[in-house]
Amino acid sequence: MNPAVHMDGITKRFPGVVANDDVDLAVERGSVHALLGENGAGKTTLMNVLYGLYEPTEGTVFLDGEPQSFDSPRDAIDAGVGMIHQHFMLVDPMTVWENVVLGNEPKTWGGLRVDEDAAREAVADLSERYGFDVDPDARIEDVSVGVQQRVEILKALYRGADVLILDEPTAVLTPQEVEDLYGVFEELTDQGKTIIFISHKLSEALSAADEITVLRDGVNVGTVASGDVTREDLAQMMVGREVLMDPATTPQEPGERVLEVTDLRADDDRGVEAVSGISFELRAGEVFGVAGVDGNGQSQLVESITGMRDPTEGSITYLGEPMAGESRREHIDRGMAFIPEDRQERGLVMSYDLTENGILGSQHDPPFAENGRLDWRASRDHAESVIEQYDVRPPNADAEAEDLSGGNQQKFIVGREFERDPELVVAMHPTRGVDIGSTEFLHDRLLELRAEGKAVLLISSKLDEVQGLSDRLAVIHEGEFTGVVDPGTVTEEEIGLLMAGERLDDDSVEGAALHDAATDLAGDSGDEEVDA
Amino acid sequence: MRNPLADLTIPVLDDLIESDYVRSLIVGTVGVLGVLLVFGALFPETVVGDLSGIVFSTSTAASTSRLAAPIVLAGLGGIFAEKSGVINIGLEGLLIISAFVSVYVASVVGIGNTVLGVPAIWVGFLGGIAASTALAGVFGVVCIEFKADQIIAGLAVWLIALGLAPFMSTVFFGGVNTPNLGARIGWRYSATMVVVATVASWWALNRTAFGKHLRAAGENPKALDTVGISVSKVRHAGVLLSGVLSGIGGSALALSIGQFIGSGETMVQGKGFIAIVAYLFGNYNPVGTLGAGVLFAGLDATQIRLQQLGYAVPDTLVQTIPYVVVIVVLALVGRTRLPEAAGEHYETED
Amino acid sequence: MSRSDGGSADGSGSDRVPSIARRVVTPFVDRSVAERLLISVAAILLSIAVGFAIVLVSGRVAQCSTAAWTMPVTGLGFCYDPFEVYLVLFNGALGYPFAIGEPGLFDPSWTPFNLSFGLTLSETTLLIFTGLSVAVAFRAGLFNIGTQGQLVVGALATALTVLAAAPFLPEGPVAGAVLIVVGTLAGAVGGGLWGAIPGALKAYADANEVITTIMLNFVAANVAYVLVLEVFRAEGSSVVATRYVPEYAQFLPWLFPQSSDFALLALLVGVGFIAGLYYLVEHTSFGYDLRTSGMQAAAAEYGGVNAKLTTVRAMTLSGAIGGVGGSLWVLMSEGRWMASVPDLGFDGITVSILAGNNPLGVLPAAFLFGLLKGGALEIGFRTDVPTELVGVLRGLIILFVAMPEFFRMFGRYAGIGSSGPGGSGGSESSAANADDDAAVADGGETDA
Repeated sequence: MNPAVHMDGITKRFPGVVANDDVDLAVERGSVHALLGENGAGKTTLMNVLYGLYEPTEGTVFLDGEPQSFDSPRDAIDAGVGMIHQHFMLVDPMTVWENVVLGNEPKTWGGLRVDEDAAREAVADLSERYGFDVDPDARIEDVSVGVQQRVEILKALYRGADVLILDEPTAVLTPQEVEDLYGVFEELTDQGKTIIFISHKLSEALSAADEITVLRDGVNVGTVASGDVTREDLAQMMVGREVLMDPATTPQEPGERVLEVTDLRADDDRGVEAVSGISFELRAGEVFGVAGVDGNGQSQLVESITGMRDPTEGSITYLGEPMAGESRREHIDRGMAFIPEDRQERGLVMSYDLTENGILGSQHDPPFAENGRLDWRASRDHAESVIEQYDVRPPNADAEAEDLSGGNQQKFIVGREFERDPELVVAMHPTRGVDIGSTEFLHDRLLELRAEGKAVLLISSKLDEVQGLSDRLAVIHEGEFTGVVDPGTVTEEEIGLLMAGERLDDDSVEGAALHDAATDLAGDSGDEEVDA
Repeated sequence: MRNPLADLTIPVLDDLIESDYVRSLIVGTVGVLGVLLVFGALFPETVVGDLSGIVFSTSTAASTSRLAAPIVLAGLGGIFAEKSGVINIGLEGLLIISAFVSVYVASVVGIGNTVLGVPAIWVGFLGGIAASTALAGVFGVVCIEFKADQIIAGLAVWLIALGLAPFMSTVFFGGVNTPNLGARIGWRYSATMVVVATVASWWALNRTAFGKHLRAAGENPKALDTVGISVSKVRHAGVLLSGVLSGIGGSALALSIGQFIGSGETMVQGKGFIAIVAYLFGNYNPVGTLGAGVLFAGLDATQIRLQQLGYAVPDTLVQTIPYVVVIVVLALVGRTRLPEAAGEHYETED
Repeated sequence: MSRSDGGSADGSGSDRVPSIARRVVTPFVDRSVAERLLISVAAILLSIAVGFAIVLVSGRVAQCSTAAWTMPVTGLGFCYDPFEVYLVLFNGALGYPFAIGEPGLFDPSWTPFNLSFGLTLSETTLLIFTGLSVAVAFRAGLFNIGTQGQLVVGALATALTVLAAAPFLPEGPVAGAVLIVVGTLAGAVGGGLWGAIPGALKAYADANEVITTIMLNFVAANVAYVLVLEVFRAEGSSVVATRYVPEYAQFLPWLFPQSSDFALLALLVGVGFIAGLYYLVEHTSFGYDLRTSGMQAAAAEYGGVNAKLTTVRAMTLSGAIGGVGGSLWVLMSEGRWMASVPDLGFDGITVSILAGNNPLGVLPAAFLFGLLKGGALEIGFRTDVPTELVGVLRGLIILFVAMPEFFRMFGRYAGIGSSGPGGSGGSESSAANADDDAAVADGGETDA
């Protein structure tokens, strides 16, 4: 019997990047298959090929042994493939049944009326058949994220999907909702549906999937049955790379306390708590790293510290002054530099040239402004000095930010922020999208700052980076630090598990293997253990 | 803010109107009128008596429906456009162009003649609708295909019509005001059209598949696109409907007196903007829009009658009430929630 | 955005591109500015072409005894001559400097100080202020449709202040100067306060400024009308208007005929405002905050800009400039406040959009509209074509300027896209960020 889904030798190239390199994937009917890998490993690209959003550069997709050629998601839907995106495609003010039948409404009265009873019944039937427990008449904006996800699944089922792709389905769910989702998976596969879900969480893949395919750097590292594999094996497969950089940090006695964060809580834009009680302190001459999978509260943590978001609870003390709730301007004026994660939204004004971008944040301060008047000559000199010192190309202060490559944009931001002569640098993904040479250069500059006695808060999803540069390393998961470890002794596997939400004092069966390491780590991190 | 009127349950209304806000608007209006009627009957010799007599007289009903027709119909049109994600602030222009063209076409056909058995005045009526729909179509193409800023393009529609209608009037009739046709459409027709259009709009928006698609196009176009419905087509339909409805309103306005007046702000005199106020006030609900439109037009009609009876009413101030009300509503209550994707261009991914 | 004071003198620039050449060239190769300019010119030309067609068509259907123009080849006669219309429009607006059909190109007896040109410049002056008003708000990312109302309020404040203050000062030029300054200040305050209302509503109640400013236009017009009608109406006046302000408190029409309602000094003040606004927007910290919040609000917030305060300030400034426009309307054009204030505020929107919301662009854009308005009168005098044509042209220009994508598509279609400004902008940046895109493609969105 042919597998429900067979992707054969899929290669997908983007200009300058190979996102998928000769990937094979076979998924049996009625099974749950996890696609595991780190961010950027090519998981979503592969699934977008299956869903008809991308056309593969090479390779073929087979469904039930039939070769397929999808021009658009519409073709994929017709062929029985449904995708549940990470960001739901639902119309918030409409009801569950309205969303489910959208575009395929049953009609009466010669098409003049949506047959609400039929639609409601169809949705209720589907819901009941798979044990979804969804009220067809509830409004989307009134139901929980977990229910919204089920509505998305219902949408796909209503359109006759046999293969369901779920992109990071647990990213937005509470632990209880995750359990419910696994139950839904079971119901679906019992009735012959095939499920592929994308994840970067080991525990999730192990507990929900029958088979697991690990992608790394666009390559299929291997497909394993979840019963035959351990967490360590998976972590090894996922990370699988050597530490590129030796920690160049020379031991250094930390100075006075620069930043102290206590019991910090903050909400995201939707009002859902994203930072759930984080405490740490940061001293002069120290790099404090925060590792973790994107979307675990890093953004909200950083925004709270840099004055771009008001925390809901807790205190932030910077150079002895309480800062929580102070304006962004106040934070800049007190010498806090901030390299934001979103350089094209925040870090730079894309239509400004580099001279203008060079004073973003300093537009009221000498030497760039005096009595409210801008000194463009000084600004230009400043921009040119940043360009020269940080090797920004093209070396032209008149170039607009949008004409620079991502790496050069980043170098310019880093240069601008470092040249502010800050007491504290908050750097979020400082080398994302930056080439190797520039990355090393930026790392050296970070360490120079440390040597000058500045405090650095470094947030990155690149393990080698945070591990190599930090004096102490915290791992964040769902808005909490799962541990604070010594980056010199901790292994990448251990960090990987911390990132997946395992605490070092975890007593579960899977955690037992780590127990020894955990004890060691506890000793190393000593009194820095935070908020366990 | 807790609204006591929102809690009243009225059997038919509850089914028709989901929004507490719209319901309290209607209950409040009906309540005030009821009190007025009672007091008017009890004290016929007082201001209240006069007022009651005016409000419940046929002539006030006539002028109210005449004044309300363009407001309510354009407002209904505005709902269709905005629900689909295209903010149409050119309603005023659509009213102007249809008002002129309806009179022009009727005069070209000649009162007393018919085309295919349709009397001239009704041919003119259809001509007005066609003109307004065509202009709305241009607006739609400019906004949806050429990604123009909707606000600026809407202003342009207004300004073009504001120039074009008197221009054409001068070309054809030698002056910005057309001569009177000597025939007109009675107020009962206007009233009927308003009611029918309101009910039909309500049905289209709430009971048909098209209505669902329209909402999705304005709230989350991507959700619509991913289920295989063209967002552009739905938006074009919404904009064209705003043209059709505004065309009915503009034709009804001009043909109810049998003449187009093109001096100054033309005879439309900001009714297209009041229409925006009406549907915002009615919270995008056709029934609420009808209520708001009739309320504003009724205020105006009552005020005119009061003046005729010798009461010194500051007419201009009365006309200002809707505008002030909408500002206050926006500032305090913040009820009007624009569709999520209104004003944004949408590009399909595949 | 070019700056003349940047980078030429220091040595560091000289080893790269020759800096003087760069300074000269930069403003013209700056993509956004050049593209705006191209689109504005194309929009004007297209409007003229469409206007041409409208004149032709209406000339065909209108009735006249003799054809004003006969189309070559076809022999069709038209009541209106479209060439004549545009000749009269532009030539007439300048007071007929060009001697059409005469042996010489120029009419030797022409002087710039004629009535028609004065009327044109009078409109230009007023449009400078309303255009600047809209432009300033636009630069802060706010769509101020309320300049009309701000102008009405400013004009009334000016008229009432000057009328109230005049009795306390001895008649004469000194008192006139004082009254003009005081009156203009009153206009700025009145317009500024009226503009601050939607600004505050936007900042603190999240009320859409497009809607509130439209509503406030009607409120301003109606309230001012009632105030003048009931309280300040001049005795014996047949229209709703205040008394005239004293002659000496009005701008004097140096060189130009009295009836042109134009004062050179007022135009100079307008040019001064342009320069001042340009300086404010491009060379001050406040201007930087303003532009940045309009351009990219998230970046402005990152750069420590207080978004709410900037919104209120920008709307207040915008309203104040509109109010000064109202002052000049009273002190230069009418000599009093009167009902039926012309649509200067709405024309300001067109002027600003045509100018790419750049203060420097407001001058030519206002002049173009001044020409249209001045020329409209001449069309009325000299041709049978209804002057409302100019209103149609106004609407067409704003419609076409609003759809840059049309001209880009046309440019690409005509094959000038690759070398033309902006044509390749999208692909350039996407290529530069290809590495990011790929990362995003897999990592999902990075939530802020």
